[in-house]
Amino acid sequence: MATKGVTLNTNARKIRFARRFISILLKMRKTRSPCSSSSIEDVRKRSQRIKIAAYSSMAHAVGPRRAWSRAVLFKLRSRARHQSMMKRRSFGLQKKRVVVVKNNNDIIPSGQLSQADRLRQLVPGGKAMDMCSLLEETADYISCLATQVKVMQTIADHFSK
Amino acid sequence: MDMGGKDKFELENRNENPMNYVPSMSDWRFGSANLANRSTGLAPMGNLMAVSKGDLIGSSPCSSTSMVDSFGQILWDHNSNSENLGFYDIAVQNNASISERIGKAKASPASLRSIDTSFDMGWNPTSSMLKGGIFLPNAAAMLPQSLSQFPADSAFIERAARFSCFNGGNFSGMMSPYGIPESTGLYSRGGGLMQGTQEAFVGNGLKSVSGGQSQKNEQSGGDASKDVPLSIEHGDTEGSLVKDERKSESLLRSHDEAKQGIGQSGNDSDEAEFSGAGDQDEPSVLEGTGGEPFAKRLDSKKRKRSGPDTKLDLANGAPQQYGESAKDDAEIQQKGDQNPTSTTSKSSGKHGKQGSQPSDPPKEEYIHVRARRGQATNSHSLAERVRREKISERMKFLQDLVPGCNKVTGKAVMLDEIINYVQSLQRQVEFLSMKLATVNPRLDFNIEGLLGKNILQTRAGSAQGFSPDMSVACPLLLPSQQRLIQAGLPGMGSSSDLLRRTNDTQLSPMAGAFKDPTQLPNVWEDELHNVVQMSYGTSTPLNSQDADGSLPHSHMKVEP
Repeated sequence: MATKGVTLNTNARKIRFARRFISILLKMRKTRSPCSSSSIEDVRKRSQRIKIAAYSSMAHAVGPRRAWSRAVLFKLRSRARHQSMMKRRSFGLQKKRVVVVKNNNDIIPSGQLSQADRLRQLVPGGKAMDMCSLLEETADYISCLATQVKVMQTIADHFSK
Repeated sequence: MDMGGKDKFELENRNENPMNYVPSMSDWRFGSANLANRSTGLAPMGNLMAVSKGDLIGSSPCSSTSMVDSFGQILWDHNSNSENLGFYDIAVQNNASISERIGKAKASPASLRSIDTSFDMGWNPTSSMLKGGIFLPNAAAMLPQSLSQFPADSAFIERAARFSCFNGGNFSGMMSPYGIPESTGLYSRGGGLMQGTQEAFVGNGLKSVSGGQSQKNEQSGGDASKDVPLSIEHGDTEGSLVKDERKSESLLRSHDEAKQGIGQSGNDSDEAEFSGAGDQDEPSVLEGTGGEPFAKRLDSKKRKRSGPDTKLDLANGAPQQYGESAKDDAEIQQKGDQNPTSTTSKSSGKHGKQGSQPSDPPKEEYIHVRARRGQATNSHSLAERVRREKISERMKFLQDLVPGCNKVTGKAVMLDEIINYVQSLQRQVEFLSMKLATVNPRLDFNIEGLLGKNILQTRAGSAQGFSPDMSVACPLLLPSQQRLIQAGLPGMGSSSDLLRRTNDTQLSPMAGAFKDPTQLPNVWEDELHNVVQMSYGTSTPLNSQDADGSLPHSHMKVEP
């Protein structure tokens, strides 16, 4: 793989991710209640939303080219669909539905998970991948995570100044 | 005779009928006895030999006696190279062992029985051949028949399918491919001249049928497993060597078959070594037991032999895995002692691949286990190898991505590092999102400006991070100096001189120590404003760019 190609690719991804992420942050800032509610619960919710925003914007920046980005986008869409359905059905009720995903891999092998399984848990969409493609997706996922961290770090530094 | 045999081969190939072995045996015997048959066989054999040697033989397997000459030449070349006068004997022994093994490694018990009977039938001629050294032609005779039977098909899957057909099929096919894969494996491994010659000999003839044989061989318990790793190694090397050169389908087929006949090649190589060293011992042993027991012993012997002979770690694995009987072990050890000496004496630099073999044992051990567990067809083991290579390639790429993993070797440790790194990155994202959640409300920046800065910052790496840390306006001064230099405006002379003077005065104290860190930025800022105004008035766009670039910098630095 040409290093130049990789760096160009990562730069483009970085820019796309940064754009999307910042736009989401701005949106959140706008929708945020003017009174600075610094309660822990609110902060946690916001951080959760920001995290989801980060992953979604990263997945969008990568596009559907990668299996892991497709998995993330699918997860987001299904979650959004689920939430909209929830809102439609239970108008008044605001139940917190916790989707429990039973991980059979945990139960079947006694105790320790195999390394491949652990990696599958970490990388989105890794459960349905063989070792070969899993490693490939892991490499791409790592590079994207690294750029994500870098951009978020600079944004945080910016805001903290 | 040949035609009859060929027909029978075809029948056997198609019908998967173990009973076909018997007629094939008779054919084999006849063929061995018939020089004329041999000639036809030799031709394809010659082709195979040439291929194995790296020569491209375009002649069809069923070529005429003209091929015999080429084949004979090839044989002679082999002989000369290997300095092995007992080549034929070895070949015969190989075939004998192969037949035994074939009898041993059966897909079906019926075929086994038939093979045993056929082996008994065929053994006599084999022993007779030993003396006459006619075995080679016999095998050649057998080979052409099998070769002619197989349509040119380079696809692995098709070959594998054909191999499955062979199981019920030709006995002769079993004989030859069994020997060939080993020989080819040995050849590729560079194990001894004898091995090479035997491989070439056997491989050429047996390659076409090796598929079926390999399957049978693999089925024979430990033998197959041990041979598989060997043959895998051999097959791969051989395949790479020969593939380029082969054009004829039969050659390709035989080559692939040789590769696929991993178990066979491994066994064959062992057999070759064994037979090469213990010519005298083998016949007696072979004749004494006969049938499966003999084959078993031979296999076990071969296995043990291959370890010391090939100087591979396989020897370590083989005894562990295939310790069939104490007697066999004892025999093997005895022969093993003989073999290494004999094989080493015979081995020449031609089979330089042996050197690479010691490095392979760990891989072969791994392959060994896999082949054993899967007991798969040759295409499977080969696919496994390809898959493994892919995985190792990706692991290397990951090693570059994950920092601090250059010295880590081994898949398990590497995977641990990768997992830890991914987890740490995810935790970092979470932490940063939390930080942004708390910090966000203070945001009042323009998105584009933010993005631009962001991009600049991210592109510059952590350069931005450096400047806030620097209390001294050293970096701030540098850009201004640069701007001044670039501007070179005479209009800025006074201010620039002033700036320079201030810079110089400021720099000198700064060089030593930071005396007035607070003053310097202020002074710089004032000068900067002056300079910027001047530059805006009279400067080139470059200056303005610098000013723009430096302004946010100064802002960033001065404000906090």
